[in-house]
Amino acid sequence: MSDEARLENLAKRLGARAAERLDVAATAQKVVERLREQPVRRIVWVQQTWLRIAAALVVVVGGALAVRQNVVRSHAAHPAHLVADDLSDLSTDELRDVLATFDQLIRTDSGAVPESSTDLHELDAQQLRAVLRSLEG
Amino acid sequence: MAHPLPLSETSGDAALILAWQSGDEQAAAELVGRHARPLARFLAGAGAPEADVDDLVQETFIRAFRSLGRFRGQCQFRTWLLTIGGNVLKDFGRRAARRKVLPLDEAVRDVTGDPHEHAEAREAEELLAAGLQKLPRLQREVFLLRAQQGLEYDEIAAALATTPGAARVHYHHAMRKLKEIVE
Repeated sequence: MSDEARLENLAKRLGARAAERLDVAATAQKVVERLREQPVRRIVWVQQTWLRIAAALVVVVGGALAVRQNVVRSHAAHPAHLVADDLSDLSTDELRDVLATFDQLIRTDSGAVPESSTDLHELDAQQLRAVLRSLEG
Repeated sequence: MAHPLPLSETSGDAALILAWQSGDEQAAAELVGRHARPLARFLAGAGAPEADVDDLVQETFIRAFRSLGRFRGQCQFRTWLLTIGGNVLKDFGRRAARRKVLPLDEAVRDVTGDPHEHAEAREAEELLAAGLQKLPRLQREVFLLRAQQGLEYDEIAAALATTPGAARVHYHHAMRKLKEIVE
């Protein structure tokens, strides 16, 4: 007998005793009883599971849509930022500095010097703000 | 090599499955009666402790009956049942991870016949059973389905969702390793 045939013969005998000891009628009876008791619970469990999955999907998809809409809205509604809006927080000296910077920029761009540049030191904070706002347009 | 179920028996299974699905409990009991012992042999051969074989057989049938909607007749009912048994045994092994699954006691031995032959056979069976536990699960199941249950490669491949060629390769790898162990 070849080694393979010998192993196959051995394999056929494996578990033979356990199979003989099995009470088939009692096993069948227990299986039928368990099937009688448990299918409804199983169906309920499956239904609950699907409901949970569906609820989780609704939360995830709904949340994603809401976040997306907020992001789009915030981008669309964001107003243009004007430097003039921040002027109220600046002191007189700071305002003069800003105006001087403006002057500098205008000089380099156009070569023209606005008349106001020479009188900056004579203006108070309110007037300086007004000038800056008019420059920003 | 043992013979797989004759056609009349497999068509009988189909009729019993239909009857069970129509609510006939007796059909379920008859299916258990037809396949419980081969299933017990398969489970014990794959390493189930004898004390747990009864429970594992029951659990396998319960899972099978609940999953019958997914059984498309791609293989015989018994072959499909044995693969479910393999899954049940795997889950059992996980639960009892630190427990020795292979009993190697009187359960897997043939205790009849000449004492000297019996002793030799017992030793060889123990070696084979221990060797099977060292194989990857797929190789072990292919080996048992082929050598113990007598199934063809086509049938094994259909049950394990692989190809007949791959099933053949798994069988030969298993055989080579087991020969080394048993000899």
